[in-house]
Amino acid sequence: MLIKVPLSWLKEYVDVTVSTAELAALLHMSGTEVDKIERPGDAWDRVWVGRIAALDRHPNADRLQLATVEYGRGRVKTVVTGATNLVVGAVVPYAETGSRLRDGHGDGAAFMTLEPRKVRGVMSEGMVCSAKELGLGDDHDGILLLDPALPVGAPLAEALGDPVLHLELQPNRPDCLGVVGVAREVAALLRTTLREPALAPVTYGTLPSTALDVRIEDPGCVRFTAAVLENVRLGPSPEWMQRRLAAAGMRPIDAIVDVTNYVMLEFGQPLHAYDARKLRGNALVARRATAGERLRTLDDVDRTLAATDLVIADAERPLGLAGVIGGEDSEISPATRTVALECASFEPRGIGRTATAHLATDVSAAARRFMWPLSADLPALGLARAVQLLTEHAGATLKGATDVYPAPRPRPSVSLPAADFKRVLGMDVSAAEARAALERLQFAVRSDGATLTVMPPAVRTDIAIPEDVVEEVARLVGYDRLPTTIPAGELPLHERHPLPELRERARDLLVGFGLTEIVAPSLIDPAWLEMLGVEGGIEALPPLRVENPTSVDRSAARTTLRASLLDAARRNLRQRAGVALFECAPVYLPRAKDLPEERQTLALVLAGQAEPARDGELWLARPRPYDLHDVRGVLDALAAGLGLQPKPGTEVPAPGLHPSRSRSVERGGVRVITFGQIDPRVAERWELPEATFLAEIDLAGMLEEVTPRVATAPSRYPAAYRDAAFVVEEQVGYGDLEREIRASQKSGLESVALLDVYRGPQAGQGKKSFAVRLVFRSDDGTLADADLEKAMRRIEGRLAHALGAVVR
Amino acid sequence: MRFVPAGTERIFVSGRGNLSDIAELRRQAMAEVDRAADLASLEGVRQRWLGPKGVLTLELRTIGSRPPEERKAFGEAANRLKGEVAERLEARLSALRAAALDLRLAAEREDLTLPPRRVRLGRLHPLTQTIREVSRIFATMGFETVEGPEVEWDHYNFELLNIPQGHPARDKFNTLWISNPLGGDPDRPVLLRTHTSPMQARVMEARKPPIRVIVPGRVYRFEATDAYHESVFFQFEGLAVDDRITMADLKGVLYSFARQMFGGERKIRFRPDYFPFTEPSAEIAIDCFVCGGTGGECRTCGGSGWLEMGGCGMVHPNVLRGVGYDPSKTQGFAFGCGVERIAMLRSGTPDIRLFQQNDLRYLEGF
Repeated sequence: MLIKVPLSWLKEYVDVTVSTAELAALLHMSGTEVDKIERPGDAWDRVWVGRIAALDRHPNADRLQLATVEYGRGRVKTVVTGATNLVVGAVVPYAETGSRLRDGHGDGAAFMTLEPRKVRGVMSEGMVCSAKELGLGDDHDGILLLDPALPVGAPLAEALGDPVLHLELQPNRPDCLGVVGVAREVAALLRTTLREPALAPVTYGTLPSTALDVRIEDPGCVRFTAAVLENVRLGPSPEWMQRRLAAAGMRPIDAIVDVTNYVMLEFGQPLHAYDARKLRGNALVARRATAGERLRTLDDVDRTLAATDLVIADAERPLGLAGVIGGEDSEISPATRTVALECASFEPRGIGRTATAHLATDVSAAARRFMWPLSADLPALGLARAVQLLTEHAGATLKGATDVYPAPRPRPSVSLPAADFKRVLGMDVSAAEARAALERLQFAVRSDGATLTVMPPAVRTDIAIPEDVVEEVARLVGYDRLPTTIPAGELPLHERHPLPELRERARDLLVGFGLTEIVAPSLIDPAWLEMLGVEGGIEALPPLRVENPTSVDRSAARTTLRASLLDAARRNLRQRAGVALFECAPVYLPRAKDLPEERQTLALVLAGQAEPARDGELWLARPRPYDLHDVRGVLDALAAGLGLQPKPGTEVPAPGLHPSRSRSVERGGVRVITFGQIDPRVAERWELPEATFLAEIDLAGMLEEVTPRVATAPSRYPAAYRDAAFVVEEQVGYGDLEREIRASQKSGLESVALLDVYRGPQAGQGKKSFAVRLVFRSDDGTLADADLEKAMRRIEGRLAHALGAVVR
Repeated sequence: MRFVPAGTERIFVSGRGNLSDIAELRRQAMAEVDRAADLASLEGVRQRWLGPKGVLTLELRTIGSRPPEERKAFGEAANRLKGEVAERLEARLSALRAAALDLRLAAEREDLTLPPRRVRLGRLHPLTQTIREVSRIFATMGFETVEGPEVEWDHYNFELLNIPQGHPARDKFNTLWISNPLGGDPDRPVLLRTHTSPMQARVMEARKPPIRVIVPGRVYRFEATDAYHESVFFQFEGLAVDDRITMADLKGVLYSFARQMFGGERKIRFRPDYFPFTEPSAEIAIDCFVCGGTGGECRTCGGSGWLEMGGCGMVHPNVLRGVGYDPSKTQGFAFGCGVERIAMLRSGTPDIRLFQQNDLRYLEGF
């Protein structure tokens, strides 16, 4: 949570003896993250501390005055102003001609540059400024009246430009939600003492239940302190308090609200004020809502409460959502004279649930604090401080106070061996050094040299185990002191991971084949999946859905890589004529009542022009689009490179692909490989060329096909070649032919190469001729013509028998 | 005596020639060989002198008709001359061939500034390259790369990491929740892992110490996408557990990583931080290699002089206990860093969205 700490406020509790930058560095490096240092004065140029030397009536306008402002070194200027809060001798911000200021009439974001101008006939040079014009608040009703003790003629930035530390807090440190908590850190870092704010002496149990009946009826409220204050004067809070609230990011409202907010910013402990006369039965009860109860909250929303909501109620009705937002019925109004103050502790979990349910993302400042584990010691502090401030600044008198704390929490105490510092940190920290560091943080420490027993200050709720204490010491000693060593222990067993290894080899091979790897978001628009088939989707399973997606195009966990690849191809084809892309990633296949199966998948796409490789560079290349043989070539080389031996599977249709130019094989219920040309209807839908070719491979299926490589020494004997042509029926595939040729030879046939496929009169109607070159070679000797003749006759016989092939 | 036509010159051949005639023949033959300007005329010279009807061939035939006392000397001299001419012819032949080749090669001149025959070059995605580099570096320190599920149980993503239901730290993780079209288990919420840290618990459950693993992978956050934020991105987790691993070891391992990844002169900074699953915890930063750690107006480090790389710390005893380890006997460290962050810093990539937009004009830079 980001909090803003004005430096001047911090200095009320601790002497800061270093520069703001050094202070920020110290805080940052000890764990209180400094997001930035805001210097409101940085924007002020030629704005000075001025004094009203004289006030005269404007000769031509009743509502305007001529203010004579002196601002040091004898400089005097006359300003025309409509402000009514000026008196002679008032110390005010004076902006010279040429300075840049916020436009007080706008939203405060726009700037204007001052120029000398005539106002109703009188020259006005410069301006006396409101808080809004200086960016110090929203107030534009009057001129900002400064402390009369400020040196006239000083740059305003020096006199008033209070730096504000923006601190990004973590939920383990709710104590730092208050300026006092930050001051405790600063005191520890600067080795100085903390000045705690003045607290009114509050005696609990002084409030008869007839005056205020405070009860806890649900353990969601841990502690409930309350006070009744009478004779409250409802006016503005003091100027210094308003300025601090504004600097810390809160809008000043009236004395009572301002005091509760001020105490919240001071201690991190929220409070709530009720008009005591509006409490029916004079009761404040922390209880669960009954389902369906209604409450109109301060943000003008009528809410229906759930049985899980913790409310603060009077004898008859809920007054507010406890710790989250107050209700309208018991709101402080100008007529309020008697105030009931609530300062309580709640279970953070319930607050979080109620705040999220009722306020969604617009969670109130109080609820955001109550969602963190605030100390149950804080309510007493917060209440006493609020009573003090209301007494001082709103004329209040304390009638009495109550503290209901059914199960007081013990202060935690942690014992640890002094050796733990070395054990955890790997560096020596002596017990004495540790003790000194902890005491700077206001920990109570007992130590016998070997063991430390520490008790953190009451506001700290994050210290429970020895490691917590070790961290406190380490962060004060400084993490910079940690040495850099390398683990000394036994080396763990290093396991092999065949699937990722195969995947990485496949990646390298595909890159070598000229394909570029993409990494696409794994969350996609579910509509994409419906665009993959000729009609509707191609996957058997619907995808997992994100319940709270950032946008619809990232709302489904992809069940296929195809959509991502087609999208990438489509977008890149706007820039170039051809693309060759692949992706390796899991797809997410839902399983009932279980995590999905995350199947590692490899998919590739070749689309558009295969040649030329570089658009327009035709001087060496014959232009040609990708074709089916390109994608088959990539798959063949991939299989060869990975050492795969195809295993049998079931041929299944490949939806979304060209029905006669695709293939899909299933094994064990899983599609292990699918490839082919995209269906032209799908291509059109994706704005892709018809020359778009895809392949999808299940890596686990591929892993099953990996065969151990066996190296053989090459034969020393010469090869013999025979070319032959076989005429077969059109439906006979080349694969059948080659398979039969190979099957006919036990050994000696080294390779079969397809020379040509011929269709025409010499082959005959409905037939084709495959011309092949056969290479024979023996490991045992040079082959004789007789051996080759025998081999050829065996091939011819087998082909004639199995395929009806005729030698041409 | 007879005259044999020989080009422009006539050669005097004496059937009764003496040794001074041999000298004259040598002069003539050599001059002719040297004069031959191409392979064809050289072959003519060979035929005229050494061919079956060549001058020297004929001259040698006259030996028998010479006085016996001259025969030996004349024969030796004529044979020597024949050898010399043959040698001279060979040398001339080589020279002419070389000259002819030189001419051919000169004529075969190519314009080497023409575009070459293009090889289509594929690229490995920069994130893959970065993850491989990370794994390689940690492998040098004994870390094994393992992977885990991206769709995860709340149990592993939060509960076992000491972030129970309602823990305020949950707010930081901006979780994307999953609904299962086949029906989920209402008691076991499913989410997209918000960090790679659930693998800490999974690895520890599956193995016994000593453990040293590195876990790269996709993670997910409910996050508006801009130049520095993605809702789908990559992290890598590190985990080392045995009986004595310390925070100094953690710093040493990350220091070594920083230097191997970003250069030997890099410095590393640990700053106290908070993660529910580590105690003590630290934020890791390296000194900015763009401005050399001086900060100022540096846009890479935002003027701080330091580049935040991720979070780390000593595995929280509650996490060890949650996976059945005895925190009094085991301890270790864990860290997590963003892959894109490293890839952006290493490549100068200005916008995190470029990684998953897959514009080839960008990817071809790698």
